[in-house]
Amino acid sequence: MHFLFNFDNTHLSTYHSEGHSGQYYTLPPTHIQKLFPYGLPPRFQLQIKTFNEGCVMVRPPALELISYLKRADYSKPPLRYVLYGDIGTGKTMSLCHALHYCYSQGWLIVHVPDAHLWVKNCKELLPSSSRPSRFDQPIQASQWLKNFKITNERFLSKLKTTQRYVWTKRESTEKGQPLGELIDQGVNRMKSSSDVVGAVLRELRLQAGGATEGEGAFKLAVAVDGVNALWGKTSLKKEDRTMPEELTLIHNLRKMMKNNWSGGAILTALSQTGSVFKPRSAYLPSELLGEEGFDNMEPFVPVSVSNYNEKEFESCYLYYLDRNWLQHPHSRSEEGKKELIFLSNKNPSILERLCAFL
Amino acid sequence: MAASVRHLLKPWTPSLCLMRWSRYNPYYLDPDPSKDARVPESELSPEEKELQELKTVSPIKAALSSDTSSAFNDPLISKFINMMMHDGNKILARGIMTQTLETIKRKQVEKYHKSPAAKREEIECNPYTVFHQALENCKPIIGLASVQKGGKSYQVPVPLTDNRRRFLAMKWLITECRDNKHRRTHMYEKLSQELLAAFTNEGNVVKRKHDLHKMAEANRAYAHYRWW
Repeated sequence: MHFLFNFDNTHLSTYHSEGHSGQYYTLPPTHIQKLFPYGLPPRFQLQIKTFNEGCVMVRPPALELISYLKRADYSKPPLRYVLYGDIGTGKTMSLCHALHYCYSQGWLIVHVPDAHLWVKNCKELLPSSSRPSRFDQPIQASQWLKNFKITNERFLSKLKTTQRYVWTKRESTEKGQPLGELIDQGVNRMKSSSDVVGAVLRELRLQAGGATEGEGAFKLAVAVDGVNALWGKTSLKKEDRTMPEELTLIHNLRKMMKNNWSGGAILTALSQTGSVFKPRSAYLPSELLGEEGFDNMEPFVPVSVSNYNEKEFESCYLYYLDRNWLQHPHSRSEEGKKELIFLSNKNPSILERLCAFL
Repeated sequence: MAASVRHLLKPWTPSLCLMRWSRYNPYYLDPDPSKDARVPESELSPEEKELQELKTVSPIKAALSSDTSSAFNDPLISKFINMMMHDGNKILARGIMTQTLETIKRKQVEKYHKSPAAKREEIECNPYTVFHQALENCKPIIGLASVQKGGKSYQVPVPLTDNRRRFLAMKWLITECRDNKHRRTHMYEKLSQELLAAFTNEGNVVKRKHDLHKMAEANRAYAHYRWW
C-alpha cells in the first residue's frame, strides 16, 4: 500500500493521481543526471547517494500542480504557480516533481535552482559591458549556462536566434545561428555571460508559442526556486561599499516572470531559508515577496504545502525501514514512532534530520 | 532515630572533595530517568525489593538536564559528548556527535546497498553498535603507573578500573582526531573514519592501545613494585 510502483518508470509522472498520494516513485538515474545536476536539495542528493536510488513521495501539492499543467491552455499567456508553506514542508521537492513531469513530457526547462544564490555571496561583481549602470555576475551566469546546456541538449541545435547580438568589437552572433553557439559563447567568454543569459531567455520567450506544429513547437517551463529573491534586497556591495542599482541576471529573470509571452508555464516556490533580511517566521507570499514582488507576480495560482498527514508519515517511516535507514532498535517500536511524531511534528525535513542519526 | 536521620539530611559538605561538584551527601541516590525503572512488585527479588523501598524513602540527586527518559538516551554517548565539549558548548559537541553517527550510518548503508545479497548480513549499519564496539576495541586492559623507588622512577604495569579504561579510550579517540588528522577536514568526518577503523581493529587508536600493552609486557619485571 505504502510503496513503490514496480512497473515501467519512465512515464510514471503522467499516471500519478489522487489514489497514489503517499506512495513513493523512483526517479530514473539518467533523468536525475540530465535534469537535476544541481537542482535538488543537498540533503536529498546525499540520500540518493546513500540509498543508491532517488525516490520521491507523491504528495497533494505536486499532484495539484501537475493536474493544472495538464489542463492549461497553452495558446494563452503562461499561468504563474507559486508554492508556499512553512520551512521544511517540501516546496522544493514538489517543484522538482512537477519539473520532472514537464521533462518527461518533452518540454524545454529553464530551471533556476535557488535565486538567492544570485543575490548574495557573489565573489565577482563586474560592471556590465553593455549598459553602464548594471552589474554582472560572470561565475553564476556561466555556471547556469553550462547546466542549461546539459538539461536541454536536444533543443540546442533546433532553435535559431532571431536577431544579431554584438558582444565586443570583434565578436558577434549572427541571426539564424543555433542556440548552442550562443550558449558556447557565454560559457567561453565569461565577461559577457550574463548578457548571453539575457539573450537566451529573450529567444526562448519569442519562440515558445511561435510554431504551432512541426519540429519547432515546444513548451517552455520556467522554474524558479526562491522567487522572493528577485524583488528583495541584495547583500552584494560594489567596491566602494554602496549598493548596486541593478543586476543583469535579476533584471532578465524579472522580465521572464511577466506573462507577455505564450506557450508554457511558470512554476515558482518561495523560500525563507536562503533569503536575506527576512524574519524566520515569514512564510506567506505577501510577507516574503513584499509589495513590489506581489504586484509583479499577481495574478498567480497559490499552492500551499504543509507537513505530512498520518498516511504520508506512515509511508515515509516504512520507506526508511525498508531502506535499512532506521537502525536504533527503539525507533522501530511503536513507542519510538510516537516519539518521532512528537519530536518532528510530522515536518518532512526535521523528520529526515532526526532519522539520520537514529 | 528521627533526629539522627535529620542530622544526615542537613546540608553537609565533606571537608575533602574527591570529585568536582560532588557536594551531595553520600546518602543521596543517583537518579534513574529511564521508563523501565518501574517494574511490578512480583518480578523483583528480595534484594531488589529492599532497594525499591529505599528509593521511596531516601532522597535522590537532581537529574542532569542532558538526561532524557526516552530510550534513545545513551549514557556512553552522553559521556563522550561531555568529553568532546569545549568551553561548555554542549550544543556544538552534541551536533558533532549526531553528525558523526549520521556519517557512520551513511557510509555503512551505502556499502550495504551496493554489495550483493550474500555479503549484506556482515555489514553492521547501526551507528550505536559501531560506536560501542569501537570503544571496546580501544579500551586498554592494563596500564602503566610511575612508581619511585630508590631515587629512580619506574613504569609499573598496573590494573585499571573500568571507568579509567573507558576514559582513556575516549580521550585517545578525541586527541587522535584533534591532532593527527588533516587540518581542513571536519571533526565529524575525522571521528567517523577513526571509529570505523577501530571497529575493525585497525587505525591509530588501536595501535596506541597495543603499544601500551607491549610496554606493560616489557616492564613485567617491575610488577612487584606495586603495593596496591
